[in-house]
Amino acid sequence: MKSLMATIIIGIGNPVLTDDSVGIKVARALAQRLPAQKDTVIRELSAGGLRLMEALEGFEHAIIIDAIVTEGGEAGSVYRLTPSDLAKTRNTCSAHDASLVDALELGKSLGLMLPHEIGIWAIEAGDVRTFSEELTGPVQAAVPRVVEAVIRRLNESAGLAA
Amino acid sequence: MKRININPITRLEGHGTIEIFLDERGDVANTYFQVPELRGFEQFCVGRRAEDMPDITSRICGVCPEAHHMASVKALDNLFAVDPPSAAKKLRELFYMAFFVTDHTTHFYALGGPDFILGPDAPPAQRNILGVVKKVGLEIGKQVIECRARNYHVIEMLGGRAIHPTAGVPGGWSKSISEEERAEIQAIAEANIEFALFTLELFDKLVLGNSAYLDLVTSEVYLHRTYSMGTVDENNRLNFYDGKIRVVDPEGREFLKYNPSDYVSHIAERVEPWTYLKFPYLKKLGWKGFTDGAESGVYTATPLARLNVCDGLATSRAQEQFERFYQTFGSQRVNGRFQPVHHRLATHWARLIELLYAAERMKELAVDPEITSPQVRNIPQRIAGEGIGCVEAPRGTLTHHYVTDENAILKRVNLVVGTTNNYAAMSMSIKRVAEKLIHGHDVIEEGLLNRVEMAFRLYDPCLSCATHSLPGSMPLIVNIRNPQGEILRSLRRD
Repeated sequence: MKSLMATIIIGIGNPVLTDDSVGIKVARALAQRLPAQKDTVIRELSAGGLRLMEALEGFEHAIIIDAIVTEGGEAGSVYRLTPSDLAKTRNTCSAHDASLVDALELGKSLGLMLPHEIGIWAIEAGDVRTFSEELTGPVQAAVPRVVEAVIRRLNESAGLAA
Repeated sequence: MKRININPITRLEGHGTIEIFLDERGDVANTYFQVPELRGFEQFCVGRRAEDMPDITSRICGVCPEAHHMASVKALDNLFAVDPPSAAKKLRELFYMAFFVTDHTTHFYALGGPDFILGPDAPPAQRNILGVVKKVGLEIGKQVIECRARNYHVIEMLGGRAIHPTAGVPGGWSKSISEEERAEIQAIAEANIEFALFTLELFDKLVLGNSAYLDLVTSEVYLHRTYSMGTVDENNRLNFYDGKIRVVDPEGREFLKYNPSDYVSHIAERVEPWTYLKFPYLKKLGWKGFTDGAESGVYTATPLARLNVCDGLATSRAQEQFERFYQTFGSQRVNGRFQPVHHRLATHWARLIELLYAAERMKELAVDPEITSPQVRNIPQRIAGEGIGCVEAPRGTLTHHYVTDENAILKRVNLVVGTTNNYAAMSMSIKRVAEKLIHGHDVIEEGLLNRVEMAFRLYDPCLSCATHSLPGSMPLIVNIRNPQGEILRSLRRD
């Protein structure tokens, strides 16, 4: 049984496509840093759309970490996105079923319990077209910053709840 | 951390663009569906241990990791010259059927269904799974999500992990199942059969019962008389997990039947300067350009092609649907096989027949007394140095080919993925749509985008693994150019 305060952290991306894996790298780093807590679950995912919506079911809060490529963006920049920006990151949608926005609306209309708060951390990627397990330098440098920021965010939520 | 106005472009770069060139009169001269390059997959693999490939290749695509895992594991059986025990083959196939049920179900309700359930001219904002559920009712939406959940549960139970399965090993499967697990899978397979039958009934009611849709399915726009490819068992019946590759000509005559390991003798790949994705074709006939007919080496490997090549289906209810399918199109049995259907929109129906077959086959395997056997692995004893593995992925025949040194360290890697097989046919469908809707510089914009989208959706191209990359989503970009190459109009749908 997931408690009402449960939080899911999802790192999403292709783990072998250079900077596309940054979400997964952040999730792994968070798993190292955060003590095992019954109310926080960390997952890795490679497909968005319905699969992502299904992974969110049953959690009160969600944090999604993904790569993004913006016009003229500087690799390693970190953006906090709101749910209305959901369609913008690299992996939150799926070409094979639904956009996350549609998937979430579907989930809601079917009565699934979905997070009332979804925070997205998007990291500007440098290279998403070469096969590699390594991040490029600026994106690698962003990983600890995002890890710290997510932990701060979790602590704030815990503080609010206390 | 800064806030900026975000204008993401990656989702465009990662995907295809359609370029339409007009002639002096403003009619279609040529169309190009371009797929961009992803670099370095072979270099990424070379120097690694071949045993790592089931894990690596299952990560190159977020949509069908199970198919890559399976093709890879079979390539390793071949590479290590080891034949898995019968129970291991059955466990693999059982796992694979759960994957097929999930994938085909999702495709119909989220991608294929909207074109029919809402109609090809419904606004784009409605032509998605939400629109489908609004039209057919919440209960069906619930069933789709439940179907996915119970089959992901099976995939996790058998495969070891919910995504990126780990259970496949050269010579077998790394875990056996208990009687309790078997009984649970049987119940899930039974629910899948009911759901597949229900879905076929829904298709019957909404599509076959509607003459406007039937006219669309049988219209000339999506008609291409190509060769068909698929895997058949020793009785020439459809099989997703194993068998021989059979190719039939546009009239339905057997043209080729070969072991998947002989694919290089029969399939060649055409390189065009305007795209990074190659076009496989039948070697014996040669590349004659983007054209159909008995002289052209273009073939397809899709659910429709798979039904076209087989003599029948091995499960009873799917076989009934199979016969009904061909009778509806007026196909006659010639030499024990129905004449092929070439109306590409019929692929959606073929996919649902495959869904029923996968569900019934899953049940057969779940009640097989051998399925709980602990004999699930034969230990490899030698390294053959080369291995080819092949399965039918939901989107077409998938082949993995590895060459290693004497220590099983990879020297060469080649993948021919499902979507690639159909790239030429897809390009032909797009050209046909453009020719139909562009005349004398007059472009029917919405109709063009909708009908190009319908062509995409019926093939469900997975450019992610075709180019070895993972997409966010697939926006549609159509550039219409004059003979000088200048863009006259650019249409886009995200």
